[in-house]
Amino acid sequence: MSSSVIELSQIEKEYPGVKPLDKVDFAVQPGEIHALLGENGAGKSTLIRVMGGAVKPNSGAITYLGKRVSWQSPKAARAAGIHVIHQELALFPELSVAENILVDAQPRGRFGLISNRARHARAAEILAQLGVRIPTHARIDELPLADQQMVEIAKALVGKVRLLILDEPTAVIAGHEVDLLFENMRRLRNEGVGIVYVSHRLEEIFEIADRVTILKDGQVVGTAPVGEISREEMITKMVGRRLSQIYPARRAAPADGPDILSVRNLRTGPRVRDVSLSVKAGEIVGVAGMVGSGRTEVAEAIFGARAVEGGVIEFDGKPFPGRVPKDAIAGGLGFLTENRKDEGLFLGLPISANIMAPDLQGITKYGLIDRSRECALAERQIHDFSVATPSPDVKVGNLSGGNQQKVLFSRWSRIANRLLILDEPTRGVDIGAKVEIYRIVRRLADSGVGVLMISSELPEIVGLSDRVFVMAQGRVVGEVEGEALGEEAIMDLAVRSIERHKATAEEIA
Amino acid sequence: MAPLDTPMPRSRGLSLATVFERYGLVIFLAVLMAVAAVASPTFLRPANLVNVLTIAAPLGMVVIGQTFVILVRGLDLSVASLMATVAVLATAFKATTNDAIPLIFLAAIVLSAVVGFLNGWLVARRNVSPFLATLAMMIILQGIRFAYTGGAPISTLPPGMGFLASGRILGVPVNLMTLAVLAIAFGIVLHRSRLGREIFMVGTNPKAAFLNGVAPDRVIILCYVICSVCAGIGGLFLLGYVGTVSNWVGQGYELDSIVAAVMGGVALTGGRGNIFAALLGVAVLMVINNLVLLLGFPIEMQLIIKGIIIIGAAAFYRTRLV
Amino acid sequence: MSAIAMEIRRNRLVMSYLIVAMLLVVLVVAGGFLSDRFLTWRNVGNLFQQLIVLGMVSLGQTFVVLMGGIDLAIGSLVSALTVFLANFLEWRPDLVWLALPLALVAATAVGALNGLLTVVLRVHSLIVTLGMSSIIFGATLMYRKEPGGSVPRAFADVAYAKIAGIPVSAIILVAIFALAGLWLQRTRSGRSIYFVGGDREAARLNGLPVDRIVVLAYALSGLCAGIAAIFLTARTGVGDPRIGVALTLQSVTPVVVGGTILAGGRGGVLGTFLGVLLVTMLNNLLNFVNVSSYYQWVIQGLIIIIAVGIHTSRRR
Repeated sequence: MSSSVIELSQIEKEYPGVKPLDKVDFAVQPGEIHALLGENGAGKSTLIRVMGGAVKPNSGAITYLGKRVSWQSPKAARAAGIHVIHQELALFPELSVAENILVDAQPRGRFGLISNRARHARAAEILAQLGVRIPTHARIDELPLADQQMVEIAKALVGKVRLLILDEPTAVIAGHEVDLLFENMRRLRNEGVGIVYVSHRLEEIFEIADRVTILKDGQVVGTAPVGEISREEMITKMVGRRLSQIYPARRAAPADGPDILSVRNLRTGPRVRDVSLSVKAGEIVGVAGMVGSGRTEVAEAIFGARAVEGGVIEFDGKPFPGRVPKDAIAGGLGFLTENRKDEGLFLGLPISANIMAPDLQGITKYGLIDRSRECALAERQIHDFSVATPSPDVKVGNLSGGNQQKVLFSRWSRIANRLLILDEPTRGVDIGAKVEIYRIVRRLADSGVGVLMISSELPEIVGLSDRVFVMAQGRVVGEVEGEALGEEAIMDLAVRSIERHKATAEEIA
Repeated sequence: MAPLDTPMPRSRGLSLATVFERYGLVIFLAVLMAVAAVASPTFLRPANLVNVLTIAAPLGMVVIGQTFVILVRGLDLSVASLMATVAVLATAFKATTNDAIPLIFLAAIVLSAVVGFLNGWLVARRNVSPFLATLAMMIILQGIRFAYTGGAPISTLPPGMGFLASGRILGVPVNLMTLAVLAIAFGIVLHRSRLGREIFMVGTNPKAAFLNGVAPDRVIILCYVICSVCAGIGGLFLLGYVGTVSNWVGQGYELDSIVAAVMGGVALTGGRGNIFAALLGVAVLMVINNLVLLLGFPIEMQLIIKGIIIIGAAAFYRTRLV
Repeated sequence: MSAIAMEIRRNRLVMSYLIVAMLLVVLVVAGGFLSDRFLTWRNVGNLFQQLIVLGMVSLGQTFVVLMGGIDLAIGSLVSALTVFLANFLEWRPDLVWLALPLALVAATAVGALNGLLTVVLRVHSLIVTLGMSSIIFGATLMYRKEPGGSVPRAFADVAYAKIAGIPVSAIILVAIFALAGLWLQRTRSGRSIYFVGGDREAARLNGLPVDRIVVLAYALSGLCAGIAAIFLTARTGVGDPRIGVALTLQSVTPVVVGGTILAGGRGGVLGTFLGVLLVTMLNNLLNFVNVSSYYQWVIQGLIIIIAVGIHTSRRR
């Protein structure tokens, strides 16, 4: 297969205690859109980083355009024509759109100096080629997430690209923008560029990709032309078991009784315009919507971590007293944040301290921490949630993603006896841990706790929730429950409202 | 990131690397002392050792405070300036009898607490970087101090102040005893109390601390107050040692305290450190300084060695895992 | 958000500059009222003569701060270079042509070493430059404890030379700042300083040679310290191992006053230039109205705090 743009053979990458890539073979042909499919934590991102020079593999060979290569840095890979669009945008928020697009290719004019005019002209040209209208003078942090993503994509059109790698580019864009992206991908494919496309939206893969490779637990479990593999096969390969085994049974009858939480016309921050939703005891309520639609901000407002600018949040029918998280915690709320490393865990502290973090009151005597009580309580949680660790003194940073997530569950379920808010509860954990987490969530709900679950993974929302609110652009645009609860219905609601919003915005402009 | 759901196997046996990592500083200090003992017969003489420790005591007090601030991702450049200001304040009472000493202590602690509060308020509430906030405080205190003294040294002090530096109770130097009491008290606060736990939480992850019901601003401000109070007390003991109040009492202690803390493994990124290890850092620094003198090297050599060890120590600790 | 508000938000930096410029105007007007000697040619000439030392070290600091670091070795480096220059020129006054380039090369090399250490050891720039500062200071003191050396007359004259009544040093300073501004705004390497300061990881993922840019910023800071040292030596005529002690922290003030944020990635040399003018003129004016230098310290501290208060957009 010397005709490949890139060919990886037997690539391995190992970190202490973790092996994200295990003997991976992967090849992309010129003029091919090759989808890379896998659960969170399957090793996709690491594989991308290896191809793009951001991570060096421990062993294995990379052949690029027929030559053995070993990238020393992203710069080397980029100079050779590999362009990566990372999931975390590599943009400079303080700088202009034009400068971001042309970050390493600033056009020079007289005396070899960068020409401001040429810069903006070139950037505008590229954006036009992409088919989007974004002002080139705007600073990145003024743009909505979707436009930022389009800027990131525009960067790929600057230089000569031989291999384009896109890591979940559609997480924050929808409708028309996705069409634009696909159009451009097809154009590049027809020009002979090899494209790696990462997404876990199967519909997209059927629409755009020629071939698909499926990763699971750092290993390739299958490669096939898209026409020769069914949706079910993909899922089974990716997940390693059938869907029906993943989600626990839903509750038999819809929850009745009064709402624990009732949010009406909430407005907060720049993103949340008008959100109304409710949760009853024993109910799992899903919140679906694009990344950037304001879901996390709603959770923060409920938990007292963000000022409420308008609307009402009621708890048990009374105005909620939570001004800061401390009050919310005292009221029996818990909030499992989206980003466990940045906002959830204290990586450098032991598991016991992490589990007991919101309940220092309960382990303090005369101002001093009662260590033995702390350990006893923590150990019980570790046992109940089967966190795999030899001792509660192990630092949380040394645990795997799945176990870290279980630590967070064991923390919050101990004290959140009324309402637990989950923001992307299974991000970056493997399927085994996922299944356990789903069981835990259902068990908590069955014990009478209300659960509000935000997730970008529609299968998870559909598989676990009793009721789903769909958010788009800072508003709740619909509610789905019972028989109607399905991926199609949710996507329809989200995309349709975004398109409508865009249309009106354009009419006004 | 982590697809394998197995726990990290933690080796129970101590490999050479772990020994070096965990007890590196103790080993380093022991080697240093052995070298000093061989190089100069004077080193192990009680008089010399007591002398080393006496000089070390005020710095040790400052380091205790500096550790608190560094743990919450901060830094206090104003400690030395505060020490000198407290020293000047001590003379302001123009006291010639020992009756004034409690009053002097009280005034020093109040002033220090106010300074610490301002530092902490600027950092926590106004989002001023610790470097700039404490730098500004350093210059401001310096200005006020000089304006008061007119730049001249003063020596009107109660005679008892000297006792703080050289006095003994039951044969134990007073300043060392005080240092020990402070270290144990603040050690308990930091490593056993609820406040201490909150400090580590804020230092490791301020956002997560907030979401777990801790008020990071309050904790940060408290750390700066503790730091300044420690520095203020250190200033009084240093004053007892030098006897005369120049306007530059304590100069260099801001850097030395940071050097010692970093050497003791207190991470400038916050959330990691131990008071007693930081005090070991003081001991190492002092032994090195003493060694330079005993070996007859020019005193400026201390500066060079200090520079090398702070960079070296930071690089050494950086390589440790989480 | 209204269009005007948008525009102001976008041009935060311009706003910062406007504020500092306005303060400057206020200062000049106030100075004219408070002292009749303040706005004389003589005083303005003197003032501009003094600008270059603080100006150069602040410029160097600006490069490093924009890149996301801080350089605390500047003062020691300046001291060391004045000692070197004065002693070298006392020994061979005829070798000025050799001494000056030598000083600049040495300064740049020390700066680059700072950068290399932060890159290789991956230790915080504060620690590295603090350590280096201590090492340089110690080494200088071991060589000379007291001020000493001398410089040839012709060299000393450089510090006071004027063309058409304007101090040469001021012309050089303005030229260097203009060049620096042009470099930062209009060249790839200059822009890279902003990229690295804005987000180091993003810069790396965008294929920029991050390590090289870091070293470059420190090297430039060293070079600036070298230029400052040359003029300082010419003016004072001696090499003083302690002359730079206060300069390190003084170099930070104009940078911060000029709206460059300590976290990196935002700011520019125009702000620093205005900051240098503001600080120098303020001290000058305070001298004229007989405010003791002690209170000038207090005021300098307050300026830092107020400047940060004005320029940082309040979060939360």
